[in-house]
Amino acid sequence: MAAIFTGAPPNSGPGYSFTQTPAPTSASEPRQHAFYPYTDNGGSTLGISSSTFTILAGDTRSTSGYNINTRYAPKLFHIDSADPSSRLVLSVVGFAADGEALAERLDTVVKMYRYQHGKTISVGAAAQRLSHVLYGKRFFPYYVHAILGGLDEEGKGALYSYDPVGSYEREQCRAAGAAASLIMPFLDNQVNYKNQYMAGSGVGHELQQRDPRPLERKEVEELVRDAFTSAVERHIEVGDGLQMMVITKEGVEEVYRELKKD
Amino acid sequence: MSSPFSINGGACVAMTGKDCVAIACDLRLGLQALTISNNFPKIFSYSPSVYLGLTGLATDVSTVADLFRYKVNMYRLREERQIAPRTFANLVSSSLYERRFGPYFVSPVVAGIDDGGKPFICGFDSIGCIDFAKDFIVSGTASDQLLGLGPEDLFETISQALLNAVDRDALSGWGAHVYIIEKDKVTKRLLKGRQD
Repeated sequence: MAAIFTGAPPNSGPGYSFTQTPAPTSASEPRQHAFYPYTDNGGSTLGISSSTFTILAGDTRSTSGYNINTRYAPKLFHIDSADPSSRLVLSVVGFAADGEALAERLDTVVKMYRYQHGKTISVGAAAQRLSHVLYGKRFFPYYVHAILGGLDEEGKGALYSYDPVGSYEREQCRAAGAAASLIMPFLDNQVNYKNQYMAGSGVGHELQQRDPRPLERKEVEELVRDAFTSAVERHIEVGDGLQMMVITKEGVEEVYRELKKD
Repeated sequence: MSSPFSINGGACVAMTGKDCVAIACDLRLGLQALTISNNFPKIFSYSPSVYLGLTGLATDVSTVADLFRYKVNMYRLREERQIAPRTFANLVSSSLYERRFGPYFVSPVVAGIDDGGKPFICGFDSIGCIDFAKDFIVSGTASDQLLGLGPEDLFETISQALLNAVDRDALSGWGAHVYIIEKDKVTKRLLKGRQD
């Protein structure tokens, strides 16, 4: 890309929540103070659902500007993990503080549902509730892209993705965060077989799209690892570790793998 | 959005294979979100095995393409031989740096096969800094998307990389041109792609 014109450092400053204190002026001169409540903590997340499971993944690096806050800040949260039949995982990327606050809110909401109704919330209901939670802060949003994973009532993998103010959609796969634009076309091609056609099915408009099929767990884990190792190569905000949560009818299994730390 | 590099949109990618290289571009020309043309190729040939891809501001794409046609014609008359890819790359670099403080808003990509039959690709920023890459080079508004990913396999790879990338970029697409360059053969294919 055209480095000197568009390749500016992320944001303008070092990327703290507080903008620089103004230079000292004479006592009576008016001074302007500023407080910007959001920081972009970088990182990326990704989710893929299949016929019997859902996998969510996120890198564990947390950044502000060119600094690394920590190499292990999880972006994946098992919701209501106290309930042995809970199959909900929330992934959040963007402003990490809002992400954790959102995960806590959803955790509480899901617990309250269980206490009041005496049963575990369905993923569809939790998904809609999360949308309402996000929209509730329409004018001071949670600065995050959320992805919610689970199993639906038929035991099929379910995946819902959200914008910061609660617009949501059920999908087969979704990448979010800093490297979303790098990963998403790869997922289109390798999960939904976009731009792939059956050999010898005709020419031009007669060409038949290669039908997407439910992927095996091993295949999906390989796609996730390939997506992240590639993103690490080309995005400075992604790296350090890869946290994966595999949601099956047996439960939620957490897998951690190292990524490059440079 | 008002960056000169992303007003007209466009995408270009080059890759190396075994004894061959490939270069491909989309065909869209737009003004922000409005598509003006769906037949605006961004790859230009300067000798039987030297190709230049140009993305960025469309007026500069045309100007720079013509400027190099002039310069390479002069080179060929003076030297009585075809220009080599590496020589051409250095010509691109020095020509762009001449405009250091009023640059052409283009991101060039060079692909070719040198005299020894060795694949050569490289990319530049708008003021001529060369990026010698062994594997692949991308440029244009879909360059983020393009990073996600023997001659026939190379054609499939570069085509899939380009098509899937431009489908996720509103400013690129509307078909593609793909060149597969071998030692003494060049295959040009026109891909239809999504028309939306």
